[in-house]
Amino acid sequence: MIRHTKLWNRIAFVAAIWLAIVLPAACSQPAADMGAAGAAQETQAEADSLTVLDWAGYDAPEFWTQFAQTYPDVEVDYTYFEQDADALAKLQSGFRVDLVHPCSSWWGLYVDAGLVQPIDTSRLKNWPDVVPEMAKLGEFDGQQYFVPWDWGYESILVRTDKVEELPASWADLWDPAYAGRLSIPDSAEVAQVMAAVALDIPNPWQTTPEEDALIKQKLLDIKPNVLTYWTDASELSQMMASGDVWVAASVWTDTYSQLMADGVPVEYIDPAEGRLGWVCGYGISSNAQAPDLAYAYLDAILDPESIVNLSNQFFYGTSNRKAFELADPALVSLFKLDQPDVLQQTVFYQTMSAEHRQKITEMWDEVRLAP
Amino acid sequence: MRQRRWLIVLMSPLALWLGLLFLAPLATMVVFTFRAGSFGPEHDVFTLENYRTFFGNPVYGRLLLSSAWISFVASVLSILLAYPLAYYLAFQAGAHRLTLLLVIIVPAWISFLLRVFAWKLILGSGGLLNIVLMAAGLVDEPAPILLYSRSAVIVALVYSYMPFVALPIFVALQRIDRSLIEAASDLGGTGWQTFRDVILPLSMPGVAAAFFLIFIPTLGEYVTPLLLGGTDGLMFGNVIQSQFARALNWPLGSLMSLAVLLFTLALLAVFVRLTRLEDWVQG
Repeated sequence: MIRHTKLWNRIAFVAAIWLAIVLPAACSQPAADMGAAGAAQETQAEADSLTVLDWAGYDAPEFWTQFAQTYPDVEVDYTYFEQDADALAKLQSGFRVDLVHPCSSWWGLYVDAGLVQPIDTSRLKNWPDVVPEMAKLGEFDGQQYFVPWDWGYESILVRTDKVEELPASWADLWDPAYAGRLSIPDSAEVAQVMAAVALDIPNPWQTTPEEDALIKQKLLDIKPNVLTYWTDASELSQMMASGDVWVAASVWTDTYSQLMADGVPVEYIDPAEGRLGWVCGYGISSNAQAPDLAYAYLDAILDPESIVNLSNQFFYGTSNRKAFELADPALVSLFKLDQPDVLQQTVFYQTMSAEHRQKITEMWDEVRLAP
Repeated sequence: MRQRRWLIVLMSPLALWLGLLFLAPLATMVVFTFRAGSFGPEHDVFTLENYRTFFGNPVYGRLLLSSAWISFVASVLSILLAYPLAYYLAFQAGAHRLTLLLVIIVPAWISFLLRVFAWKLILGSGGLLNIVLMAAGLVDEPAPILLYSRSAVIVALVYSYMPFVALPIFVALQRIDRSLIEAASDLGGTGWQTFRDVILPLSMPGVAAAFFLIFIPTLGEYVTPLLLGGTDGLMFGNVIQSQFARALNWPLGSLMSLAVLLFTLALLAVFVRLTRLEDWVQG
């Protein structure tokens, strides 16, 4: 019996050592530089798999059938993230992927941290058709780091049966007529840009302390109108459909089309200051194991025939101008793609430094928590 | 001697588990509060900047107090509501006791998010309450009732946590020796006197356990205030969440989490002191 106990003691001891030393070392291995064995694996991996860190839903086969036809033996592994912050945190902690799909205001952080590599756009035959206004957002120090792929508007959505006078601008949201019936998103980023646009501040992404004070006061001023802050599109849909909320800010087109389809009388506003616009796109990770496949994948999903599915099935905009012609006419008119200067009028989210993000997060806390 | 060795062997998995999955993360969190950034070069910089931000801005302290108040009110209300329920189960329900207990617990099997969201459907403009009030001619135009406010958060918290409050009280009542109650009535005590002098004091350990069971988790809540809180019902969990999920500022988020932890511990220490909890538990 005693010998038995000793044995168990030893096992527990060994297990403790193993857990304390071997396991953390093994886990941190992928983050460190790979040795010779790793290099051998790398070439092999290049041949048969591609890893994409993406938003849920973007793995739809319609987007990459072309790639699948060209590379039938390549396995495309998708891993998902819920928020831009999650994706950045994953890459920062050494998670290995080939492609990553963040949105424009986060792109600069990837470039600064060296998480993505410059993209040789000459290797993408569809590159010349990418909308220049969006391509510009992915350019840093003269090099292209991100390829814009999907975009959309963020604008004001109104219940036309409840509101007598529709708002014509972002600044109209401060109208006391909407008291207690307005919902704005619970997002420091959106709130700050919305207030800056209403105040006619030229660059919401690089603000002076005086402008910050004006923006904060402007957001404090809108609180009597705000019924609640919305956090997710389906929550907002429910609140608009039930009639709790009559006017909502920063709503995406897919929510608008869904509410229309449900027979809710809503109108999507074209504010005087311009609609806000989100853009997301793909970057190639600095430690990509299959960069050639990553280029092939990017080019395949940029193809008009592939990317147009994003418009026709998900009601999002595409970065390829040739796809505009293939898109459903209803979407073209919703996105005003038939108007030549619509993209110049749209206020696209620019890249944001970590300090700026921290500053607006604290400002937003102060606004939300003000008595 | 032999027994002690066995004890060490048997305890070691638990100790390892606690050490690896509780103490180590807690220590990591404390270390993080002194970092200048979540990653990169700033990750290794020692700074007190987070402490300056947190203590330099009065909104965070105020929010901690108002969140504690929300949790406190929700805890007291659920105990007041759950006590008669537990009392009925323990003394009156007889053979149906188990079935009724199950009925109380079953709603807790449904997704927490769904149960919170359901309150929007009940209190909202198109909701049940509005339909009833409209039919009764009490309101002309449907409007959200109580919704998007601190009260809505309290209502939903009470609803969500009631089963967890009823259980410990029920167990405490169940354990009371029935001969004590008989003795009380033999000595001429009325029903109310028996309750006040015998049953209530004996059930206090259950009530105290119930209080902790609801106060601590509700203080960290962020889903309920997010969905129902409107502009004045936000809680401390919401600012922690935005530091982690939006701003990617793990150091400040860690400091906020640590602040809640220490604040809760301090409150509990005061509570235990004031109420002489040990006496109840031992008595």
